[in-house]
Amino acid sequence: MKFLTASLRMVMGIIEIKNLVKRFGKVIAVDNASASFGKGISIITGPNGAGKSTLLRCIDGLYKPNSGKVQVDGADPYMDESSRRTMSLLTDNYALYDNLTVMQNLEFFGRLYKIPRQEITRRATRLLRSLDAAQFSEAKVYTLSRGTKQKVAFCRALLCNPRILLLDEPTAFLDPKASTEVRKLIEGMASEGRTIIFVTQKVDEIPRFNARLIFLKNGRIVKDTTTYAFYRSMANGAIVEVRLASPIGGKVASSTPGFIRGNSPNPTSISVKIHSYRDINRAVAHLLKSGAYIVGIDYTESVVEKFS
Amino acid sequence: MNVGNSFAIAVKDMREVFTSISIAGPMLGVPLFFALFLPLLTFYVSEHAAPALASKIFSIALPVAISSSKSLNSASFMGFFSIYVLGPIFLTMPILTASVIAADSFIGEKERKTAEALFSTPVKNSELLLGKIMASLIPTILLTLGVFALYGVITNLLSYSSFGVYLLPTVPWLLLLFISPFLAVVTIGVVVIVSSHVRGTKEAQQISTLLVLPILILPFASITGFAMLTTRLLLYIALFLAIADIAVVYISVKTFNKESII
Repeated sequence: MKFLTASLRMVMGIIEIKNLVKRFGKVIAVDNASASFGKGISIITGPNGAGKSTLLRCIDGLYKPNSGKVQVDGADPYMDESSRRTMSLLTDNYALYDNLTVMQNLEFFGRLYKIPRQEITRRATRLLRSLDAAQFSEAKVYTLSRGTKQKVAFCRALLCNPRILLLDEPTAFLDPKASTEVRKLIEGMASEGRTIIFVTQKVDEIPRFNARLIFLKNGRIVKDTTTYAFYRSMANGAIVEVRLASPIGGKVASSTPGFIRGNSPNPTSISVKIHSYRDINRAVAHLLKSGAYIVGIDYTESVVEKFS
Repeated sequence: MNVGNSFAIAVKDMREVFTSISIAGPMLGVPLFFALFLPLLTFYVSEHAAPALASKIFSIALPVAISSSKSLNSASFMGFFSIYVLGPIFLTMPILTASVIAADSFIGEKERKTAEALFSTPVKNSELLLGKIMASLIPTILLTLGVFALYGVITNLLSYSSFGVYLLPTVPWLLLLFISPFLAVVTIGVVVIVSSHVRGTKEAQQISTLLVLPILILPFASITGFAMLTTRLLLYIALFLAIADIAVVYISVKTFNKESII
């Protein structure tokens, strides 16, 4: 029987959403969404008000669906709080108790997961160290910067060693170094076979992962793809921004294949229209040949256009 | 149900309340001021205006033989005022204290957006409710006990030093103390019920503090002789409040909707 259940889960996925509808008054936040999530990273993205955070909260059992169902390991997370023993949510605000110290916050949440006190301290110290926040363990939360609070909130989410991790904008307010650390932690956890659902609006974050990618719009799942497939499809007709280390001549810029515009007569950034990744290589080859140094290629504008 | 989870929530909430000066300051300061200032005021009035006042009040309120002795009149007046007039005023304390803590405990989580993190743990609704009720009830009871004790000690010191008698405790006085937790539970229940419908702690406090209105009738009822706080009446009040507690707690458990607090 156990074998059958395990096999069924492998086929069905760890998280199953079927025809999920969640309304707030007349507003439909999630509209007939169906999806299945297994091990690895799934990124959910979309414009403001698309229903990303609501979907995450329905999975965590914080919201009761108006219709349809959510199942985590075969259980309804809204009715069965035990499904949250191995599932953790990082909310889009830091959600820490301001008048308590960092360690008191972590101890409190650890106790609710029935983690022994010594083990809480051990795990909390390790997690805080990994995000360079151990020095704040005895500081009251209200004294911390927004970024440090986010790091502590991330530590809280990982404290219970979750098998399913739901992350709502985990790198919001973090500096580049901390963002990189968080991404490393997420990738490391995914490689251990955990299920990670990651909501983000930071379009520059998406291509950093080799992951499943779901687009939500007006509460509906409009695209279910992968990050690499999406960027491949996006390449057709997209406008990319090539950022340069120093200004280049106007002629060099305008002769770049697909050139549309530069940010000045002697630009440090040019917009190039592409139809495939090959076109990027052509543009880059032309610029390199002309002595330019490229510091980055930005797809953001195109992704934003796809969002709206 | 895991009581350990409820206890952890209660400890966390109490820690939060008592480390916030803006919440703990008025919550502790006002009762302490009452406990220190009101016996002094009562004593002063008893010493200087009691004979005249006592003859007026007692002729209506108490079938007490008015003695010609000034000190006995003053002592009787102080006893009457301390128990029947100020006693009910002290009953507003468990309501006010419980409403402040309960509002902060339930709706404060919504205001500070910490509810999501708390509700995303495997804590059951029953554990959560019990923890929050404990967080509001324990400090309220301790504070009420402390204030009643302080008030009693000061009143006795003053009455003994001037009139040679200890005025407190009396049975009605102890019954007033006995009633306090029942009032606190009703208040907490009301806060839980309104928590789904209000946006902030202030709204919840304002609604729950309406419960002090019936209490404030009691001193006037005693002064005018309409209803004396006899042992029997106080026992009836305790019984009524116990039933109200069961009803309010039942409704609060049934109507508690964590989704509306997120």
